[in-house]
Amino acid sequence: MGCFFSKRRKAEKESQPEGEEERPKQYSWDQREKVDPKDYMFSGLKDETVGRLPGQVAGQQFLIQDCENCNIYIFDHSATITIDDCANCVIFLGPVKGSVFFRNCRDCKCTLACQQFRVRDCRKLEVFLCCATQPIIESSTNIRFGCFQWYYPELAFQFKDAGLSIFNNTWSNIHDFTPVSGELNWSLLPEGAVVQDHVPLPATEELKAVRISTEANRSIVPVSRGQRPKSSDESCLVVLFAGDYTIANARKLIDEMVGKGFFLVQTKEVSMKAEDAQRVFGEKAPDFLPLLSKGPVIALEFSGDGAVEGCHLIVNEIFNGTKMFVSESKETASGDVDSFYNFADIQMGI
Amino acid sequence: MGLLSILRKLKSAPDQEVRILLLGLDNAGKTTLLKQLASEDISHITPTQGFNIKSVQSQGFKLNVWDIGGQRKIRPYWRNYFENTDILIYVIDSADRKRFEETGQELAELLEEEKLSCVPVLIFANKQDLLTAAPASEIAEGLNLHTIRDRVWQIQSCSALTGEGVQLRFSTGYEQERLQAAAVRA
Repeated sequence: MGCFFSKRRKAEKESQPEGEEERPKQYSWDQREKVDPKDYMFSGLKDETVGRLPGQVAGQQFLIQDCENCNIYIFDHSATITIDDCANCVIFLGPVKGSVFFRNCRDCKCTLACQQFRVRDCRKLEVFLCCATQPIIESSTNIRFGCFQWYYPELAFQFKDAGLSIFNNTWSNIHDFTPVSGELNWSLLPEGAVVQDHVPLPATEELKAVRISTEANRSIVPVSRGQRPKSSDESCLVVLFAGDYTIANARKLIDEMVGKGFFLVQTKEVSMKAEDAQRVFGEKAPDFLPLLSKGPVIALEFSGDGAVEGCHLIVNEIFNGTKMFVSESKETASGDVDSFYNFADIQMGI
Repeated sequence: MGLLSILRKLKSAPDQEVRILLLGLDNAGKTTLLKQLASEDISHITPTQGFNIKSVQSQGFKLNVWDIGGQRKIRPYWRNYFENTDILIYVIDSADRKRFEETGQELAELLEEEKLSCVPVLIFANKQDLLTAAPASEIAEGLNLHTIRDRVWQIQSCSALTGEGVQLRFSTGYEQERLQAAAVRA
């Protein structure tokens, strides 16, 4: 096990030699199969389309560096990815368990999902993002964000493998470590942005085998408005409880609401305890307490004039019998939303 | 001489508080390490904007661990936390070779700081679970750790993610390691 140790020097000669790397203890990283790092990097490429198919990365670390004018598609989950010194690239990154870190890049257009999103010394990036935590930028300009919007059949399982929830996506609230007075180093992509105009599909035979759709209603990650300005001051909170069909129900509800012209603002998947339920659901809490222990809840925030009534109609028609929390009225809805996020932010924070 | 003996020398009475400062570049894994030390869930960690602090009980000591954000822009603020530090833990992303020079630079500057003089430094060669992770020996060489003369130092391999190598190894001293190593070779 790596343990160097030095003592305070009293004289030139040491009574014990400076610690050498002794026979390593059996850590998990000592025991695993050796793989060739070259299979997990794209380096120094120009004018090429390259990628990895589902199963070809399988949770390893991946490196992308010194690429120019390339289209890079990683259709698998990985541990962490750094992108260094790239220019004019199109980049798709399947779910990343840890961080995605862009350094010294410019003019890149990306779609990716990760736990942490970091940018330093970059300019002109466009990112359709699913990020479990607050994205951060530093010493960068002209960084534009949209919501992750992508589908291929293997993607849902890759999210699971990467430990990412499709419902935890804070893509639109960015922290800038080097803000400039009077300017914004980042902004949101226009709402109607057509994904393929920014991140085109791969043109090579090998990568075409992945059956991709970029339609909003097929996206593995529900497309949310996030911090986009709201056109209505009416919102509606829905909370679904863990069960066999929870994700399918959540998707169905989102489809129905969006179909009726309402907007999905934000989603969250988080574990709730009894005391949290008391605070969020108030007098309705007893109905839901037994359901909390089965697993995390999924919360959906909708907005639009008539959202509460519209939601009740849909829930009664389609989900009759499934226990879920729906805001009672326009007046109580904003309180519901606030209570929920107050609890969720604490739960998911440090 | 393990960490425990260092601490015993530092703190004359038991149940004393030990102030630990956790530094390193952004994305090194400091906060994940902090959460692991505190035996907490590490699946949803956000980039640190200011600092995090946790108290951890360990073998009769109360460790107050200060985890400070490592972005380039906010490293000048590290000095606000130097005072009264008992142990400096410097965390390195062993798999980010592109930034070895940068992290070496920051560590070197820390070791010249007046307010950190003589403070023992524990270097965690983190992210050993990753494919391109350099072993601790390579990192020690690259950082010229052997030239550190003015304080006690130690480097250990770890993965804050899996929790391996993360324990502040109080009970296993250098002597015991050598004995184990000798046994393996025999």
